[in-house]
Amino acid sequence: MSGNLLILFLVFFPFAAGLVNYILGRHSKAGRDRVAVLITAIELAAAIVLVAMSFETPTDLYWEGFAGFGLHFRADGFRLVMIMIAGIAWFFTTVQSIEYFNRLSSRNRNRYYMFMLWTLGATMGIFLSADLYTTFIFFEVMTFTSYVLVIHGESEKAIDASKSYLGFGVFGGLVTLMGLFMLKANIGTLEMDQILDAIKMSGANYGIILASGLLILVGFGVKAGMYPLHTWLPKAYVAAPEPATALLSAVLSKAGIFGIFVVTGQVLLHDYTWGLVILIAGTLTMLTGAMLAVFSVNFKRTIACSSMSQIGFILVGTGMQAILGEHNAIAVQGSVLHLVNHSFIKLALFMVAGVIFMNLKDFDLNKIRGWGRNKWLIKLVSGSAILGVAGVPFFNGYISKTLIHESLVEYIAMFPETTGMAVIFKIIEALFIFTGGLTFCYMLKIFTAVFIEKNNDPELQAEYDGKSKYTSVPVKILLVILGVLFPVIGILPHFTQDVIGEMSQHFLNGHGLEKEVAYFSWTNISGALASLAIGALFYFLIVRPCLMKKNADGKKEYIDAWNYGLDMEKYFYRPALLTVLPFIGAFAARLVFIVGDGIAWLYKSLFFINRPERFNPKEEDEFALYEKPQKAEKVPRGISYSLLLFVIGMVAVLYFIILVAFN
Amino acid sequence: MAALLLIPIIFPIVMGFILMCNGIKDNRKRHIYVAMVCIANMILAIVFMFTVPEQSFTVIRFSEIVSITFRVDGLSTVFGMIVSTLWVVTAFYAFEYMSHEHNENKFFSFFIISFGVIMGIVFSANLITMYLFYELLTAATLPLVMHEMDKKAASAGKKYVIYSITGASFGFIAIMLLMNFGVSLDFVYGGILTDIAKIAGHEQLLLVGFICAFFGFGVKAAIFPFFNWLPSAGVAPTPVTALLHAVAVVNAGVFAIMRVTYYSFGTELLYGTWAQFVCMLAAIITIIFGSSMALRENHIKRRLAYSTVSNLSYMLFSLMIMTPEGLVGGLTHMMFHSVLKITLFFVAGAIIVTTGREYVDQLAGFGKTMPVTMAAFTICSLGLIGVPPLMAITSKWMIGTAAANTDLVLSYVGIGALIISAVLTSLYLFQIIIKAYFPDKGLNLERMNRGVKDPGKCMTIPMMGLSVASIVIGVYPTPFINMFQHIAGIL
Repeated sequence: MSGNLLILFLVFFPFAAGLVNYILGRHSKAGRDRVAVLITAIELAAAIVLVAMSFETPTDLYWEGFAGFGLHFRADGFRLVMIMIAGIAWFFTTVQSIEYFNRLSSRNRNRYYMFMLWTLGATMGIFLSADLYTTFIFFEVMTFTSYVLVIHGESEKAIDASKSYLGFGVFGGLVTLMGLFMLKANIGTLEMDQILDAIKMSGANYGIILASGLLILVGFGVKAGMYPLHTWLPKAYVAAPEPATALLSAVLSKAGIFGIFVVTGQVLLHDYTWGLVILIAGTLTMLTGAMLAVFSVNFKRTIACSSMSQIGFILVGTGMQAILGEHNAIAVQGSVLHLVNHSFIKLALFMVAGVIFMNLKDFDLNKIRGWGRNKWLIKLVSGSAILGVAGVPFFNGYISKTLIHESLVEYIAMFPETTGMAVIFKIIEALFIFTGGLTFCYMLKIFTAVFIEKNNDPELQAEYDGKSKYTSVPVKILLVILGVLFPVIGILPHFTQDVIGEMSQHFLNGHGLEKEVAYFSWTNISGALASLAIGALFYFLIVRPCLMKKNADGKKEYIDAWNYGLDMEKYFYRPALLTVLPFIGAFAARLVFIVGDGIAWLYKSLFFINRPERFNPKEEDEFALYEKPQKAEKVPRGISYSLLLFVIGMVAVLYFIILVAFN
Repeated sequence: MAALLLIPIIFPIVMGFILMCNGIKDNRKRHIYVAMVCIANMILAIVFMFTVPEQSFTVIRFSEIVSITFRVDGLSTVFGMIVSTLWVVTAFYAFEYMSHEHNENKFFSFFIISFGVIMGIVFSANLITMYLFYELLTAATLPLVMHEMDKKAASAGKKYVIYSITGASFGFIAIMLLMNFGVSLDFVYGGILTDIAKIAGHEQLLLVGFICAFFGFGVKAAIFPFFNWLPSAGVAPTPVTALLHAVAVVNAGVFAIMRVTYYSFGTELLYGTWAQFVCMLAAIITIIFGSSMALRENHIKRRLAYSTVSNLSYMLFSLMIMTPEGLVGGLTHMMFHSVLKITLFFVAGAIIVTTGREYVDQLAGFGKTMPVTMAAFTICSLGLIGVPPLMAITSKWMIGTAAANTDLVLSYVGIGALIISAVLTSLYLFQIIIKAYFPDKGLNLERMNRGVKDPGKCMTIPMMGLSVASIVIGVYPTPFINMFQHIAGIL
């Protein structure tokens, strides 16, 4: 083991501390809660120290021989950004989860905190990993530890959702493993910054490298919620307790993106096919997520689907990185920044969701409608986050979305005339603007419902208005920090976003921006405004007239117009897995048994006489050796009977010997 | 000096016969006797493995080629260490387990005798010696399989004997061929078919001989289509299933194939031939078939037995790659699988003997009521599935890379099979874990699981000890892998 031991601390401290905390929790609940916060605070502090140490010169850690092939971590640019996100997200959600679980008097909290901390360790391991084997180790650990977070509630829905989560996770992980095998076998290394050279040196077949890249994509794509591997996402995000969902959305999905970034920047650098795959998958993810979110009448489900949609935006940027080739600086910065912005925005929104659930134990828009009317603090924070995610100018999401949009526009401009491909890219650009509009639309929907409109039930509304104490001071402080962050970043992009972008570009093998982006030029602002206008139109022309109906009292209600028959998992994955595959398997197994049984049958007919009075035990019918149990014993069986038989046998043998000897 | 090797073989056999003839009535005394014999023999075996120099000791010489000879080399050290350590662990487990059964004197005497016999396989220096002890192993373990003495056990025992003896006789055909064409019958890394003039023109015959050897010795390693005895043999008391049918006997089959492939026929003759293709294909089919059957099986021990079938073929697949990396992969998986599967069987036995439940769907809520047992099960399951950084990921990775480094198309198919089997493994093991920790709603667990609790220390300590060992070795397997690579001649 050699190198910067702080990295080791960052990765393994949560594992050890989680265990200690579990033992502590068996004795003192309050102590455990405080210690959990303390642990995440220490972790965050350690992350900050590591950033300070490694900001100028990257530091490494090697642990030879761990799990057979050794670990290699590195702390540099983009990895530091990611560990800061993880550290902050964990600290914030842990502070909230204490109040959250106390108020909901939830069971199994010990287990929750232990696995929450283990997931933290695993996530740090992923984000600091410098070779893909290390990434994979911690990625798998993360899948299993976060599974416990998803199933925490142990309700029927949670169990079902966690089964999907685990199923997809395990499947994806193993496909990724297959890809890693192929890569390792063909180029001989999985060290991230040696892969490109190794590909050149080994002269490996391009097709194999592409295939292994696509296989690796499956596992990471599952975690990111990439279409068509997304079906677990809305279910699992909704089923998990909110602090855990915040982590799933803000950090764990980014672990998937991290892996996709590695392939984009280190394996299939500037590869057109790869870029196209990611771009199309990203576009579909973006659109599907937004559509699901618009139709949802559940506060948390909307944000969950929004997560998926925003991941789609990031993927579009990632795809453009590969398509643009050498001149991809805008796409690199755009996708990284959208990742960072989205993490913080979703952290804020899921914390808000946690506050709502803690108070109301419900997310149905019709029930929670009007709850936040006079709760100014949470209203403003949510507003800030929503403006951020919708990409309103002077909020953070605007900056990153503009960059990604710019990269699309730049590529379209490179086509000399309207060819087939240009049309496709134009369609993608239009969809990008449209989805941006949808983002605004669904966010407007939930914001109006919770924070502006009045509840249909005046008594309930009065009750909502009467309650002013809805969460503790620490959580409020954290929410305010996040709420202030979004406009600050949005107004000062050159001091905040550009720095992060520059830190990250090395990881993606990108170059610096050729010129400073004029974020607030009229063209960019007008583009964003157009997108917002589409969203507003969609809201007023479709959502309010079509997705709200008058109920018996003549008051308007949100209706769930989504056709759940469109669930891909229900109609494709599960039948395929539970009906078609078992059928094929059973068929194959029968064929296999024919071989085995055939041999056994031959055996039987050669060596054993199958008399009808013989009795076959059910599971053993190929070995027919037992006499049927007789009702009445004709010959008394016992020692005398055995003796009798023995004597007969002896006589026979003697007779034989005499016959032979004296012949 | 080399004559010392006879001691770990003969000592337990003699002590076993003594126990058989003068049964000890008192449980405590018998346990002390058995424990002393096992521990002493383990120490003797391990000490001799490392101190006796690499020279052979011949007991009887029948002809120039045929003799009963013992010797220690790298491969025997690995197998010997696995077996002798786990034998002691199982002995302690069996003390408590067998107190719920009957006829313990008979059980423990054969238990000890088998220890000696298996050490004979470990130390054998040529094919004839190995064959002798291989047959003896069947005989010595038969009473253990048939311990219950009811119809089911008798049927399983018959099946066991017929499969094993037939298999070994096929192996004998191969030995005869090797006797004709080889320079000797001793185990030499790289093979004994070095006299090219002698084998010229008889290559096809030798390949047929190899197929006979592979499937003959493969019967004990539960290769398709001769795997059926293994799930049936699960009627034996759990210590037997755990030790013999997850570690000793089945690994003896794998060990024999290692000897035959790498030390007798030699990979040079076999690599790239149709014989390799057939054997590898059989292993690949068994891998998938075993895991699928495990998923379908509802009886815990039978499920684990099918899982063993599948995992043994991981090793066989790895061996059939016929490169030094393949041998390393096979050895690694042999060791890791032994530790993991024996623990899983211990857990199954603990559940069966303390609660009387034998089926997977009766385990709802056991995570709460049998915490230690289920913790061991979870750790070892995760290890077997191959969740990094636990054990099996390393061995699977090594098998995978060994397979990917060849130019055989079938080995890529094999990697696919490993992946599919890993998915199935996670399904059939997680089904149990989820049932235990997250039972379905609406069950009256209080009433169902009344009185269910962890077994006594004799059972929990081996389980926990092995689980911890699996974590430690999984995280830091380097010394073992270095040793295996040394054996395979890579280092």
